[in-house]
Amino acid sequence: MKRIIQNYRSSLSRGLSLLAALLASAVFFAALVFMFAQSRRAVKREAMDHASVVLDNTVQRVNTIISRIEGATGNLLWNLTRQLDHKDSMLVYAEAFIRNNPYMQGCSIGFEPYYYKDEGKYFSPYAGYQDDGSIITTVEGSPEYEYFYMDWYQLCKLLDRPAWTDPFLDVDPDFEGSSDMIVSYGMPIKDGQGNYVGTLSADLSLDWLSETISAVKPYPNSYSVMVGRNGTFFVHPDPTKLLYESIFTETLEKDNPDRMALGLAMVNGEEGVQKVKVGGKPCYVFYKPLGNTGWSVGIVCLEKDILGRLNRLRNDVIFIFIVGILLMLLALGRIIRRQLKPLEALAVQTEAIAGGEFSKTLPNDGRKDEIGRLEQSFSNMQHSLVNYIEEMKRTTAAKASIENELKVASDIQMSMVPRIFPPFPERDDIDLFASMTPAKEVGGDLYDFFLYGDSLYFCVGDVSGKGVPASLFMAVTRNLFRIIAQQGYSPKEIANRINNALAVENEQGMFVTMFIGRADLKTGRLEFCNCGHNPPVICVPGEPARFLPIKHVNMALGMIDEIKFHGESVDDVRGWRILIYTDGLTEAENPSYELFGTEHLIEFMNENADQPSRVVIERIQETVELHRSGAIPSDDITLLCLKLL
Amino acid sequence: MNRLIRSVLLVAFLLLAMAARAQKITFTPQWTAQSQFAGYYVAQEMGYYKEAGLEVEIVHPSASMSAINLIRSGKSQITTLQLCQAMQIIDEGLPLVNILQTSMNNALVIVSRKDENPIEQKGIRVGTWSVGFDQIAFCMSLKEQLDYKWIPVASNSTLLVSGAIDATLAMSYNEYYLLKQSGVRLTDKNVYRFCDHDYNVQEDGVYMIRKYYEEHRDDARRFAEASRRGWEWAVEHPEETIDIVMRYVTEGEVVTNRPLQRLQLKEILRLQVDRESGKREFRLRPDMVSLANSLMTEGQMLFNEVTYEDLVSE
Repeated sequence: MKRIIQNYRSSLSRGLSLLAALLASAVFFAALVFMFAQSRRAVKREAMDHASVVLDNTVQRVNTIISRIEGATGNLLWNLTRQLDHKDSMLVYAEAFIRNNPYMQGCSIGFEPYYYKDEGKYFSPYAGYQDDGSIITTVEGSPEYEYFYMDWYQLCKLLDRPAWTDPFLDVDPDFEGSSDMIVSYGMPIKDGQGNYVGTLSADLSLDWLSETISAVKPYPNSYSVMVGRNGTFFVHPDPTKLLYESIFTETLEKDNPDRMALGLAMVNGEEGVQKVKVGGKPCYVFYKPLGNTGWSVGIVCLEKDILGRLNRLRNDVIFIFIVGILLMLLALGRIIRRQLKPLEALAVQTEAIAGGEFSKTLPNDGRKDEIGRLEQSFSNMQHSLVNYIEEMKRTTAAKASIENELKVASDIQMSMVPRIFPPFPERDDIDLFASMTPAKEVGGDLYDFFLYGDSLYFCVGDVSGKGVPASLFMAVTRNLFRIIAQQGYSPKEIANRINNALAVENEQGMFVTMFIGRADLKTGRLEFCNCGHNPPVICVPGEPARFLPIKHVNMALGMIDEIKFHGESVDDVRGWRILIYTDGLTEAENPSYELFGTEHLIEFMNENADQPSRVVIERIQETVELHRSGAIPSDDITLLCLKLL
Repeated sequence: MNRLIRSVLLVAFLLLAMAARAQKITFTPQWTAQSQFAGYYVAQEMGYYKEAGLEVEIVHPSASMSAINLIRSGKSQITTLQLCQAMQIIDEGLPLVNILQTSMNNALVIVSRKDENPIEQKGIRVGTWSVGFDQIAFCMSLKEQLDYKWIPVASNSTLLVSGAIDATLAMSYNEYYLLKQSGVRLTDKNVYRFCDHDYNVQEDGVYMIRKYYEEHRDDARRFAEASRRGWEWAVEHPEETIDIVMRYVTEGEVVTNRPLQRLQLKEILRLQVDRESGKREFRLRPDMVSLANSLMTEGQMLFNEVTYEDLVSE
């Protein structure tokens, strides 16, 4: 699955076609669902109308006959009530009645016990057809057949109105000829005073009813049922259910709410349609009561019959839909791939260009669409790239040459300052160490020192500006210092002379701050001249580190010609640690532009005053590096640490 | 050779003698074939009667010949009766003996058409059987002064659902389910069960005319034992029992169906369990006989008291 997804993700054409197919599927599916819901409703409505019409027609036909029977029985009753005194005529009436009414199976005229005193408890004249088609007339009633307890007798008596019984097996023990399933229409017989005296019952064979109702078949697999007012089946395609089961039988042992609802609707004389399962198959049952009989006719139609064609259509459409979507997926894939083919070529060529083959020709099939524009853009980009790279090559070469020269200049510059430590190995009274770290290849800082007799000359300077101009100025200054100092001048004199030399024709207006010192190694006396330079830090034993107090801060060298520099002295600096530095140290910045600062420097010197000069300088460098935290150095740093012993 | 012939003759004689010893006896349940008599059908079909040395023929009553008439006429020797029926018959002068009591509870109920307690509907029309079984109901209605109008009917469901009657008596194993099958809603409210009130009188038992009993005590004992085995088997094998019952039902052309008979058997077996002991006791309870006596005497359905001793064999 992951591979399939990846496959689709790696190909734009496949991804696009799948997306299009999915979108189309969603739209089609929604349309199909809507269409089928509507069709289903329409088909169902039509089927229901159809079944209802069939049911109505059947009910109408049955009702016509029922009405006829009710009418005929009513007529007989009208005659009977006028002939109550002539009990012997009852049999004649009964026989004539069934002869004249083709649907009748029999006719009973049952009287209340002892109504005719001379007849005793039982008097129920009866006429009925026998199996051979002949008519038998008899008077029923005996201790074994107490007709007055039968439904056909009691129903209309107790209801005090004509009533149809539910179907029953005619089991008169006195009359073996009849054991048919019949229904009876009973009417109460009343005497002149309106007192109930007996029941006139017209028996109707169920055969014709069954035939009429069974013939109703709106669909090939549909069938009809008829239930009595207590739900008993008396028309049903399964003869074993007739009389033996009711519509509620299936609800006896386990709940079957659908069947119960259908049964109740039918026995309550309602008209309608319900969906139930019959034999596990979903069916629609259309039902309608039959006149005033209390019976109900139902047509059971299999859902698949009603919705069969629709379901077949649905299956066909779903098949076409699936095949269509698959074909669409394929076709879209091909079309999109063809359309995007230049892009693929472009991707290959671009990849080659990215790999360094700048001469590769990009495709250009003259298209005017987005892909054509993309090709054009890529082509332009390729040309720009080629030009740019050529330019860069030239620049890089030039830069490399300059860098090379600068490297030489740096070496030369570094060779100008003494770099061998310890500088005076033969003397154990000087602990001196110096370092110069340019911010760029060449810097504008300088330092120098040398012994002249018992005097140690030294200086630390900082030329204004940076880079090559500053370095040239530094070289001049350092040479001037060497030349002038080696003539044994005092620091202030050296300053005067260097200043004069530098100020002449200083068109660039460059200058240099410098601390010039001369220490008498014998007496420890230090003479110095501070020409606009930072005051050195001194660590006098037993005292906290501090800046060397300077009374005369002179101007920087090279600024103004012929000005006088003032020198100062300290009587004995033996045992002192003196750190002379350029402002690159205290102004070293970290990425948050915080300066290293003078306080930090004093603190550092307090902690490290007892260390040898080399250690002090190395540690300062480490500490500055730490403070800078990776920030690019902005200025040269020059340090000179001295201790006379 | 002679020895062989002699042996064969001896065996044949013994077989004949045994066959002659098997007592022919006719048993008549008080109603048409249904699960109410399942135990006897089982005893017959499983050969329990035969094993007890009895050749039993089961003859159901017909419309023209009720069970008690078959007994009176001597066409049948054993029948089932409800306790109250048996007491009435004894009171009328035909001494009977209860040789096996199966029911330990009363099955009579009143079902009202409306969803209301039948006891709270005075003066309503209540259907009853045209052939009896309603003694306790009459006694109860008198005692509770319900002023019911009793309507004897051949079958009650159509009359009840059509509203021709307002309520009907029913047996909890038979008509109760028939009414349910007719779509009548049966609730705790519209069904009054006599057994849940002060009218829990035992019903079905097996009876013989005392005179016949005196002459066939052993047959009676064996019949009762074999019948009891039949009932006990039915408890263990309800589905097979229904198969047997349905054979009798089909033979007797009884209008019913398997679910109805299954429910009936379940209820009949439930009624056989004594409420107090929780067991199938197969015995008459003297206290229930006393209760029946007092109810029926009060209801003027007995002229003389019929005691427990009048009913049992010893």
